[in-house]
Formats: sequence, C-alpha cells, structure tokens
Amino acid sequence: MQPYLDGVLSDAQVKDAWEHLEACPGCDKRYRFEGSLRRFVRVSADEQMRPELMVKLAELRHPAQEAF
Amino acid sequence: MSESAPTAAETRRIAEEARDRVRFEEEALQLSEQVYRVARRLAGSREEAEDLVQDTYARAFRSWQQYTPGTNLRAWLLRILTNLNIDRGRRIQRSPDLQPLEEGDYFLYNKLESTIADENPDEERVIERLSQNSVVEALSEVPHDFRDVLVLVDIGEFSYAEAAQILDIPIGTVMSRLHRGRRVLKRNLADKTVAA
Repeated sequence: MQPYLDGVLSDAQVKDAWEHLEACPGCDKRYRFEGSLRRFVRVSADEQMRPELMVKLAELRHPAQEAF
Repeated sequence: MSESAPTAAETRRIAEEARDRVRFEEEALQLSEQVYRVARRLAGSREEAEDLVQDTYARAFRSWQQYTPGTNLRAWLLRILTNLNIDRGRRIQRSPDLQPLEEGDYFLYNKLESTIADENPDEERVIERLSQNSVVEALSEVPHDFRDVLVLVDIGEFSYAEAAQILDIPIGTVMSRLHRGRRVLKRNLADKTVAA
C-alpha cells in the first residue's frame, strides 16, 4: 500500500492494486485514511518563514561589484 | 609602474561570472521557503531552524560554483542543510523503538475511531480527531535517522532518489527508513490520542 501511495509502482502493479481496492472495502478504507493522514501531516508540518529571516538571507548575498 | 589593464576578454568573463552568480543567488533564494519547511521539522526550535537555514545559504553562496546549473538546486541546498545538521551534532536521541511494530497499520485508525461516538465514521471525521500540534510533536519524537527521510519525502516532497542523493544513502535504506519512520509516527500519534 505504501508504494502505491508513493506512486512508485509499475503500471501493471497500479492496475492490480486499483482493482483490489475496488473490491475490498477494508483495504479501500485504509487506503483513503493513509492518503488523508499524509495530507494532514504535510499541512500540519508546514510553517512559514519569518520575513526577518528572508532579510537576513538576502544580506548574505555577494555585494555587487563595481564595473571596471 | 602601472598594472596591466584587464583585457576585453577578462572583463567579459568577470561580467558573465557576476551575472551567473546573481542568477544563482536569486534561484536559491526562491527556494528558501521550501528549505525552511524542511529545516523547521529537522531542528528542535524555530531559532535553530533559522540558524540552520542561514548557515546553509551562507555556505551555498560561498560555494556557488560547485553547483552545476540546470541540475536539482533544491536537492543541492538540502544536502548542505542536512550535512550541517549532522555536523551540529544530534540532540539526545532515543534509540529507535524496540517494541515490535508488527501490529497492523490499523492501530492508529482504530484508536482515532474509538474516540468518535458515531458507529462507522468516514475517514475524514477520523482524521479530524488529530490535532496539528500532536502531529508536529509526534514528528519531533521520531528518531533522527527515520525523521530525516520522513521529513524529506513526506514534507519536503522529494522523491526516494532525491532523498537518497541528499542523505548519501542507498535508495533501499531510504525506503526502509521511510516505512519505519511512518510507522513510528503513527504509533506516536496513537499514543497521544486520548480515549473518548
């Protein structure tokens, strides 16, 4: 199931997995839960950078050279 | 005695290099949110994450010529970041959970479901029983070897191959650490779920 969710199966494997999920409500429920959980983890773990950090990063840039 | 003036070719070369450098810096800075997103979940605090990101960009800007234009800049930056994170020394780590994780992957689902009064809730309602704080906490408690991979793939949205390249480990190791990391995360989340 994990590789199926990760999108790393071959086309034939994907087809087999999909057919199973169509037929098996237990697995289908678990599949949809895993997908929802991944999205939730991804969203929960997201944190915006503070603007102050962006300013500090810009200050790390190489100063512009004077033209000859 | 005067120094010889730069040749036209030399002047052109310097100007091109300056342009390349500016372009590199701009492209790298465009990725800073994504770099921070990963750093925040690898580091223990916001302050630590910000220091890590600053050190990463300082090093990236110093060694910009080691980057091959057109290749995966995001992975290149993350490689610097993860190496710096390792150099800083890990915080006290628990050893990876020695309890068997062979119980079915249903345990988190069942635990969450048990907190809902409804007989057969759909999975969106089950997910709602989790809080974002518990996810962040649970993630920070995953042992660092597993967490590095988990954060890169599930939060940074890198592929297995990119994660392998960033961490300089075989792709098989990425897959097994990812699998185990996800299970530890779910176990941690289940532990934090309070029964109804």
